[in-house]
Amino acid sequence: FLSQTVTGNFANVIHGLNANHLTDQVIQRSKRMILDTLGVGLLGTSTEVYHKVKQYSKIYSSDISSTIWGHLDFRLPPLYAAFVNGVAVHSMDFDDTWHPATHPSGAVLPAVIALSEAFPQKKKISGLDLLVAFNVGIEVQGRLLRFSNEARNIPKRFHPPTVVGTMGSAAACAKLLALDQAKCKNALAIAASYAGAPLANAATQTKPLHIGNAAKHGLEAACLASQDLQGNKQILDMESGMGAFYTDYSPQSLPTLQSYAWLLDQQDVAIKRFPAHLGTHWVADAASSARRKLVESSDHMLPLDKIEKVIVKVPEVKYVNRPNANSEHEARHSFQFVACSALLDGSMSVQSFASENIHRPALRELLCKTQLEHPADNKPSFESLYCEVTVVLQDGNMISDRCDTFYGHWRKPLEKEDLEKKFQSNASEVLPPEATEGIIETVYNLEKVKDCSILSMFLSGQSARALSEKLRLL
Amino acid sequence: MVYLTLQKSQKILASSRQVHKTAAHVVARSAPEETVTSSFASFIHAVRPEHLTKTVLYRSKRMILDSIGVGLMGSTTPVFDIALQYCRELYSSVAVSSVYGRPGMKLSPTLAAFTNGVATHSMDFDDTWHPATHPSGAVLPALLAASQMLPPSTKPNGLDFLLAFNVGLEVQGRLMHFSTEAHNIPKRFHPPSVVGTMGSAAATAKLLSLSMTQCAHALGIAASLAGAPMANAATQAKPLHIGNATRLGFEAALLAARGMEANPVILDDIPGCSGFSAFYSVYHPKPLTTPGDHHEFLLEKQDIAFKRFPAHLGMHWVVDAALSVRNLFINYAGSFSPSLIRTIVLKIPVSKYINRPFPSSEHQARHSFQFNACTALLDGEVGLSSFTESSIHRQELRELLDKVVVEHPEDNVANFDKMYGEVALLLHSGDVLTGKCDTFYGHWRKPLSRESLLKKFRSNASHVFPEEKVETIITMVDNLENMSDSSQLACSL
Repeated sequence: FLSQTVTGNFANVIHGLNANHLTDQVIQRSKRMILDTLGVGLLGTSTEVYHKVKQYSKIYSSDISSTIWGHLDFRLPPLYAAFVNGVAVHSMDFDDTWHPATHPSGAVLPAVIALSEAFPQKKKISGLDLLVAFNVGIEVQGRLLRFSNEARNIPKRFHPPTVVGTMGSAAACAKLLALDQAKCKNALAIAASYAGAPLANAATQTKPLHIGNAAKHGLEAACLASQDLQGNKQILDMESGMGAFYTDYSPQSLPTLQSYAWLLDQQDVAIKRFPAHLGTHWVADAASSARRKLVESSDHMLPLDKIEKVIVKVPEVKYVNRPNANSEHEARHSFQFVACSALLDGSMSVQSFASENIHRPALRELLCKTQLEHPADNKPSFESLYCEVTVVLQDGNMISDRCDTFYGHWRKPLEKEDLEKKFQSNASEVLPPEATEGIIETVYNLEKVKDCSILSMFLSGQSARALSEKLRLL
Repeated sequence: MVYLTLQKSQKILASSRQVHKTAAHVVARSAPEETVTSSFASFIHAVRPEHLTKTVLYRSKRMILDSIGVGLMGSTTPVFDIALQYCRELYSSVAVSSVYGRPGMKLSPTLAAFTNGVATHSMDFDDTWHPATHPSGAVLPALLAASQMLPPSTKPNGLDFLLAFNVGLEVQGRLMHFSTEAHNIPKRFHPPSVVGTMGSAAATAKLLSLSMTQCAHALGIAASLAGAPMANAATQAKPLHIGNATRLGFEAALLAARGMEANPVILDDIPGCSGFSAFYSVYHPKPLTTPGDHHEFLLEKQDIAFKRFPAHLGMHWVVDAALSVRNLFINYAGSFSPSLIRTIVLKIPVSKYINRPFPSSEHQARHSFQFNACTALLDGEVGLSSFTESSIHRQELRELLDKVVVEHPEDNVANFDKMYGEVALLLHSGDVLTGKCDTFYGHWRKPLSRESLLKKFRSNASHVFPEEKVETIITMVDNLENMSDSSQLACSL
């Protein structure tokens, strides 16, 4: 059927995309994203914010239940499993980032995994089903982000995962539920009424809820649509629909299903090497290089007391401009903090944000000497920004270095070994080795997995030996 | 059980407070009295039952009664069925909160709030305020559900309940005054989804006796759950806006109670990084004064409008105008004879989502000036049955709709305090008959009498309850401030 509205067109595509449309590159990239997201989520189960939402969500329990990553001791209804796991994924700001800017996987993966466990007739969902649904969720987000020029830059008003992430989750779940076109449209319409959280909660403990809620509400929208709840069939077309979240809005139809051109094929994601806002990754690389030069020229020691000033050249991004960071959430959103931390330690890690490191006197001293500058040519866009760190010494000497593309950015993607290393380091905090290896193997072979419930079983940390046997039989 | 979990978490909260001592320092350092957000938190925390005036008590009880009636009526709708089925399928435990019109059925508190909120707005029959929003539906269901959640030893009395209800209204009203945009009929975000969520968070924070800091965080968390676009108005999804407002605001308060922290200046102007201002293009936040001896509630100065039939508020003006011109016409022609009419001219304000020449669903019909005017002309009244499938698609009505022409006089502002409705019948004979309505009966300038309000409630509630039960509810709400255990109200629904 010819659909004249953008909304109808989206519904057609969500409905019509299938495994045959997936290209090799898309499969490869999405598996990397899936692995990284799982690791980041497992690590996130050790955070305070996670603990709070877990306690909260335990109010709800039912017969239908889904896995809570890293937990064998309890399960939750799919909606709350999606919520809690989503919070885990974003709890440390360690999850993937795309261009235009959003955190695509965290809004989708927890929802589709939770949903895959909740099919009433115990219907088996294959790895390929999961991959298709996952990619539908990613694709819809990317397409929506292209409807506004505002979206190309680092956000100022609404936090993108809460706008497009909710829609992506709804699309992905609609796909997994195999909803018809009309219901896909309604899923999108209903999801729009849940979308949109203001940016001001970034750098606070509430930010991780943005991803948790995006996953949860998208899933809810798809479930309500599957029960035939109806919304505005032109939700994507109208200014008073999705347009409400942008000041400039021009929706466009998706490409034809004949050999579908996925955005993930043309534009990869960035995977973070340490848990902080993406903008700080340029800073970390520039600061680490500057430190190396400094140490070389000073007898292989860092001349801390000889530092007069530290100048960090970054684009203007208000919510990451934080001269003092008092909590882990603030530290993860501070150019200044990451610059000083990288200068002191030579590199950034999960540990850089531990309380004792945030508050160490040497760091505080260095922070007092640090200032930001915003060169006119440094645009607030993850595609084009750069960072230059200059250390000015008391004797007038200056050591400087610049980073245009940090390692992990889409222009310089993480090597397979490093992606795995990150995953192992994260996942092993909560899972036994058989489970972490089981997840790696399952994700790497995802398109061949006949029943993806095995992924959920590994995620819960279930007795892995029996499962590894199962995996070998695939 | 829920309340045990809540108590346990207070202990966890105590220990986690130490970990986030530094975060607490940040809040303290920003001197609580100085931000708009903290002024709201102070108000929510410090306001007492003694601050409620007679007018405020009187008006809010009317709102509570109307809201319950409308919700009970709404429990017979398909959208309600979907919401209920959804909630029941996914959740079963900790079912302590009542569902409108389903005695014996319980759901977990936030889902009961969701379901009842959907019921309340399902037919667009609930109250409307100025600046524009549907205040009660966003607050009452959460409070009812929460009252059943609290342990027997700490059940809120009727006055506590009324106070929490008014905190929810007051916060909504104050927030709307932050933007001139809010004074007119909305175009971008549906107000209940913006301020309603915040009101629900404030009200439940009050009922649960959260600390001042927790109140601030409840608002902050709620902001991240607020905001639905207008486009879903006039669709079946619109009732979810109220359902979610009341449910998500409640969730925000529950999360805050467990120590979740958000941006402590969420209501303030934060240049370069939007807080609550994200929902408006013009935003001027103002602090609330901490209630001293008395507090001036907005409800004292600005009453609510109650609807006489289940449709968007704007429809009420054209209907009253249509009814008056209909009378003129009957005097003129002896009976209502549509064939004598050449053109029907509607003079209405500009508002896209309620300008609908040929609505095809009940939701669209409730949001159509043309439909409501013609129904009033044809039938001499607009009521529940005007929006059934058969009524919507009647031939005679379609014929009348064909004759309608819409005009937007410049002086007819899209604002519930200033708009008017005018219906002119241009007859084939050349004569013109006109009816105009500045203030419909039920508007805050011409409030429904007690008899009319009770009539509406009885008509609604009797769709699901026997007479005895209907009267019990009326009596309970009448005496709400004297109740020692306000959860009895929720139990009776």
